[in-house]
Amino acid sequence: MTGIIADTLALLGLAILTIGVYGVMRMPDVYTQLHAASKAGFLGIAALLAAAAVQGDGAIIARAVLIVALLSVTTPVAAHAVGRAAHRRGEPMRSSGAVDES
Amino acid sequence: MSGIVFYVAVVWLAVLLGVVVIRLARAGSIGERILALDLLTLVLIGLLAVAAGEDQRSYALDAALALALLSFVATLAAARYYESRKPFS
Repeated sequence: MTGIIADTLALLGLAILTIGVYGVMRMPDVYTQLHAASKAGFLGIAALLAAAAVQGDGAIIARAVLIVALLSVTTPVAAHAVGRAAHRRGEPMRSSGAVDES
Repeated sequence: MSGIVFYVAVVWLAVLLGVVVIRLARAGSIGERILALDLLTLVLIGLLAVAAGEDQRSYALDAALALALLSFVATLAAARYYESRKPFS
């Protein structure tokens, strides 16, 4: 039973991570790419770590929880730093209908 | 997880790593390059998580934890350096 849950979570994580990488490939500018990389990337990693923790012993569960908690704090901060740096250096917004409200 | 899913996951994540490396080499601007580098370490953490889940290898998750911490500091330093030409100001 736990094997089926682990398989499902692993395939789900792969699908979400693939969506994130595909978004980074396809989005026109860095501001829209940040959405794909930070949100889909973190969710995919969380699902893969959950797949490892379902069948794992205490050591694996503790490390997986620690990594998910750490990434949930650090990923938005890193994405915000990259977006702010790109905006301060005047990188253009190429998506259609984009309005710079700053 | 079962064997076939493990092999599919490893091969698929390796393909994703290659795609992100190509994206890193062909990025349009420096911001996109920093972002691609961040995503590269994220995919690598996923690969280490799959390796840890296969055979109860908890030391792979130690490496993933260190990689997550290092990639956060590296992304932050690179972004701040790109923003103001000084890493900490």
